[in-house]
Amino acid sequence: MIDKVTELEPGVRGRGIKNVTINEHFFQGHFPKEPIMPGVMIIECLAQLTALVYCCGILQEKGINDMGKLHDAHIDPEEIAAQVGYLANVNIKFRSPVVPGDQLILDCILGKSLGLLRKVKVSAKVNNTITAEGDLIVSRKE
Amino acid sequence: MSVKEAVLNSVKKRKKLNERLKKMIIERLNLDLELVEIEDDAGLFGMGLGLDSIDALDLAVGVAEEFDVTIEDDQMEVFRSVNTLADFIEQQTEGSTDND
Repeated sequence: MIDKVTELEPGVRGRGIKNVTINEHFFQGHFPKEPIMPGVMIIECLAQLTALVYCCGILQEKGINDMGKLHDAHIDPEEIAAQVGYLANVNIKFRSPVVPGDQLILDCILGKSLGLLRKVKVSAKVNNTITAEGDLIVSRKE
Repeated sequence: MSVKEAVLNSVKKRKKLNERLKKMIIERLNLDLELVEIEDDAGLFGMGLGLDSIDALDLAVGVAEEFDVTIEDDQMEVFRSVNTLADFIEQQTEGSTDND
């Protein structure tokens, strides 16, 4: 769902952009004549950004900083993607509605891990105003 | 300081630490419990308070933030009870907070 990743520190943090347009399929029913971006879709954006930061972190652990070199290093991207597990817990507060025309600035900072679980601090802003913030807990698959 | 005073002091200190831990557990995990309802030796997971691995991560973050003590992946046994958590914190902070 993310349109652009503007900042990325593999395994540490990331920032991305989601341009919210009226063409999004979920606006058809949420709600007719009053389009508001569903909270779960904002969470999905944040989770996708987190997955990206996570995957790039795993790649960096393997010594790969350039995605173009994946093939040379004989690494199967699907194998890396398979290590991204589940969204184990979501604790997000929504501060203000997101509507068509808004540009969401998404931020995620990977936090402490324990076993396979890791806490991630996330936020979504529109025009420097926080629309959603909180934390996710994601799991890593072995 | 007499031996008796020293023992009383350490008991008092430990009681305070346990209460601080219980307060943290209740607040961080949004439990609908009173301090007295959590026993020092009762299990935190499974049959005890019924916590899960996600709660453990929240507690690990809490312990790191409030006590500046890091719990590593291979030290999961410290989550057994309030007492084991307190033992671990005492052990890790020994010398840094004890000035007497």
